Amino acid sequence: MAQHKADLLQGTLDMLILKALCHGELHGYGIIQRIRQLSDEMLHVEQGSLYPALYRIEQKGWVSSKWDVHETGRDAKFYKLTRRGRKQLEVEEASWDRLVLAVNKLRQAT
Amino acid sequence: MKLYNLLRDRLRALAGREKVIYDIDREMRLHVELQTDANIAAGMSPDEARQEALRTFGNVNKIRDTAYDVRGGGLLETLSQDIRYGARVLSKHRTFTTIAVLTLGLGIGANTAIFSVVNELLLRPLPYRDASRIVTVWEVSPEGRHQNSASPSNFRSWLEQNTSFQSLAAFTDQRINVTGDFEPEEVSVQLVTPPFFQTLGVEPILGRTFIPGDDEPEKRSVTILSYGLWQRRFGGQPDIIGKQIKLNGLPISVIGVMPRNFQFYIQQRSGTGRPAELWSVLPLKDLGNYGRFLGGVARLKPGVSPEQASAEMKTIASRRSTDDPAHNLNWGAEALPLREQFYGNVRRPLWILLGAVGFVLLIACANVANLLLSLASSREKEIALRSALGARRVRIVRQLLTESLLLAGVGSVVGLGFGWLGIKGLVLISPRDLVNLHSVGLNIPVMLWTLLIALITGVLFGLTPALHITRLNLIDSLKEGGRGESGQTSNKRIRSIFVVSEIALAVVLLAGAGLLVKSFINLQQIDRGFNADNVLTMVLRLSDSKYSQDPQIVNFFHDVLEHTRALPGVRAAGIVNYLPFYGGLGSATGFTVIGRPAPPPGQEPSTNVRVADNGYFEAFGIPILRGRNFSSSEVTQPKRVVLINEVFARKYFPGEDPIGKTVDVVMFDQPTPTEIVGVVGNVRYESLIDDYEPYVYFAHPDLTYSFMTLVIRTDGDPAALAPAVQREIRALDPNQPVSDVRTMNQVMSETVSRARFNTLLLGLFAALATVLSAVGIFGVMNYSVALRTKEIGLRLAIGAQPRQVLLLVLKQGLSLTVIGVILGLAAAFALTRLLSGLLFGVAAVDVGTFAMMSLLLVLVSIAACYLPARRAMKIDPLRALRYE
Repeated sequence: MAQHKADLLQGTLDMLILKALCHGELHGYGIIQRIRQLSDEMLHVEQGSLYPALYRIEQKGWVSSKWDVHETGRDAKFYKLTRRGRKQLEVEEASWDRLVLAVNKLRQAT
Repeated sequence: MKLYNLLRDRLRALAGREKVIYDIDREMRLHVELQTDANIAAGMSPDEARQEALRTFGNVNKIRDTAYDVRGGGLLETLSQDIRYGARVLSKHRTFTTIAVLTLGLGIGANTAIFSVVNELLLRPLPYRDASRIVTVWEVSPEGRHQNSASPSNFRSWLEQNTSFQSLAAFTDQRINVTGDFEPEEVSVQLVTPPFFQTLGVEPILGRTFIPGDDEPEKRSVTILSYGLWQRRFGGQPDIIGKQIKLNGLPISVIGVMPRNFQFYIQQRSGTGRPAELWSVLPLKDLGNYGRFLGGVARLKPGVSPEQASAEMKTIASRRSTDDPAHNLNWGAEALPLREQFYGNVRRPLWILLGAVGFVLLIACANVANLLLSLASSREKEIALRSALGARRVRIVRQLLTESLLLAGVGSVVGLGFGWLGIKGLVLISPRDLVNLHSVGLNIPVMLWTLLIALITGVLFGLTPALHITRLNLIDSLKEGGRGESGQTSNKRIRSIFVVSEIALAVVLLAGAGLLVKSFINLQQIDRGFNADNVLTMVLRLSDSKYSQDPQIVNFFHDVLEHTRALPGVRAAGIVNYLPFYGGLGSATGFTVIGRPAPPPGQEPSTNVRVADNGYFEAFGIPILRGRNFSSSEVTQPKRVVLINEVFARKYFPGEDPIGKTVDVVMFDQPTPTEIVGVVGNVRYESLIDDYEPYVYFAHPDLTYSFMTLVIRTDGDPAALAPAVQREIRALDPNQPVSDVRTMNQVMSETVSRARFNTLLLGLFAALATVLSAVGIFGVMNYSVALRTKEIGLRLAIGAQPRQVLLLVLKQGLSLTVIGVILGLAAAFALTRLLSGLLFGVAAVDVGTFAMMSLLLVLVSIAACYLPARRAMKIDPLRALRYE
């Protein structure tokens, strides 16, 4: 049971990260900010979850990364959506929509 | 892409943990800094802002580690950690490690040794070019005797008519005397037709092999040396080619030397008893038509299978049967793949032995798994702690598996040591006909096999305990004193299952070994028709050039016998041309009884032939049943008399007195009637198992062989007399070689050497299995007593007698044993059927043997339970109740 829940959350986190990156490259801190911003401050991603998820996604080839100079002059690692990542985002959004639809139907039935 | 990323990260991780961690750290630092900036912007003081940023970030180390694991540093990194940790654990529990490694070493070592033989004989390509394309070709007798030698006329018809073979060569083995500037020596020579070497696809290391035309009369005096003879007799001279050596006193020139390991020796079809050391030309054209003494070896044409070739040979043979019924009625022919020829009869025993060592290894695994379980119960807290600190189950299982693989690794190193010893031992006890066995060793395939079984065993004995331990309720384990009862109960159940399986496997092995032992005893007790005790034998082959006349030969042997009989300690001495079990070259010959109507063609009576003197029957203790032995004049002068054995008399003279009858045995160019003067007891010459066959004995002057075997019955140790006899022979002719000096018991022990090999090994494995099972049941009972200390203490406290406690423990151990024995017997009923071809005089399912072996195992396990039971008996109730 616990396993399923974790999967769901993890999958969701992947989608959020991909979504945050779909308008351009960002560093880790930026991704968290972007998710907050896009969700009207409703979603806070923990740093502790973000980085492992990012590395995992990178290994899957959905994002690529490179070191670049941040606007503050510091070095930062920027992540960028790959073509496969973009496709994956579509897949995940579609399945999310299905889930939402299904859950709503279920609730209306009650 | 995905794979590439993964690989890149793993490689980077491998290249340096530092670099990966550094990257991650940089990224984290930026994150914290940006957060700090944001906090300052929100109005915090710089210090406050930084504190807050770090706080919200959480445990930096933990994030870094998780991130690092994901980045792939994980697996390799933790592997080396696990190994180091595992090594520490193993070296801390030294007794455990020693016992486990030894157990595994024995199991793996036995497997290594047996596999090396299997690999050598059944898997490795035979040492001929493209050996799977080579077949041997034989006749099949009307009685269905396979691998029968072929007659020259039939062989010639094969040559003319076959379409299956690229090349076909004939061979036959003989003994020959090599003389020169050295001590004369008798060696085996293989007479072959010129395409022989080309058929086998083997090149000489010096000179050439035979070419077409070498069998022409004027070119025949050439020979090829084996590497061994070249080294031994000619000091490995490189200029040996073209030199002349003397064979049976005749000059022959050497044209080639074969490589060190080349031989083509089919022991059961060779009358020489040892591999050839010389090759000479067999002049097939000039051979007579009849008499079956040729073997065939052929290389198949591309696309022709051995079965197709065999079918064609059968067709040719049936044509021969029609064309020449007098000699070939109902004779068949066959082609055999080379491996089948060499090792067909050892294949099954070897696979059985491999299966048996597999069983031993399984038992060893079960024991080690049990040991791991008991080790694990002492590590419960450690494991619970790790799990409480956040280690996932997979992680812990991986750690435990690494430990068991490490154990298996060390075990396999020890196993290689045992295996090496085992191979040495196997070569020592191996039957003489498994000549190739002398080249077995720890080669690459054997090492790979050892590695493979080490891996398999590591997982096999490691996985169950690892899964089991990590499934326990670990929180309970952590609680002070609250050792999870349920965990221990299920732990005990798993261990009981292991022990029951061990016992079952041991029963199967014991049952098999018991059957083989019984069969071996039966073999030993067969009446062979002669008394082999205190008998010395040696072979003399007179050189053709020196002893060219029959009377010379007869006289020489007569002199040798006279001198031998005069030696103190000699009770009787005689000669025979072929000793019992000398070699399997049995060839029956036809005969007619004078005064009887001629039988229809193909149905002539036939008999085996031996040449002997009167002393032979005395020395061997063969009884004269009717009539008389050869007289002293009959063994010095040709008198045309023969003796027959009992089967001959019964088969061909039923209800008649054979004494005084005249028979003409086809052994001479002209009809030669001989008179039967006596009937002697049956002797087993070829097979311990088959029925007695008819034999006729010629006196040496009537059928003179230059090759005879001395048979000397002695008062004391026969081997001790050998030097004296050899001295007498040298005194008569200093140039006369003597070979095969052996006691008859040695000869006999070689005939059952294969049965002994199988019996010894299976017996050894069964013993090993029994000991390991005993250790297993001891371990489990010991553990069980430890667990029940409190309970037993209580029982004793409320008045149970120590004897009752003893019985309690014994009963528990015995019930495990009985379940194991029952399961094992069920398996044995199914499996011992595999042994059926190897058994003599005992059925594959022999209730007596099975019962005895079961009883043996039960007794052993009672003995194994006794120590734990005694311990239980001596538990001090007061201390036990306070215990924990």
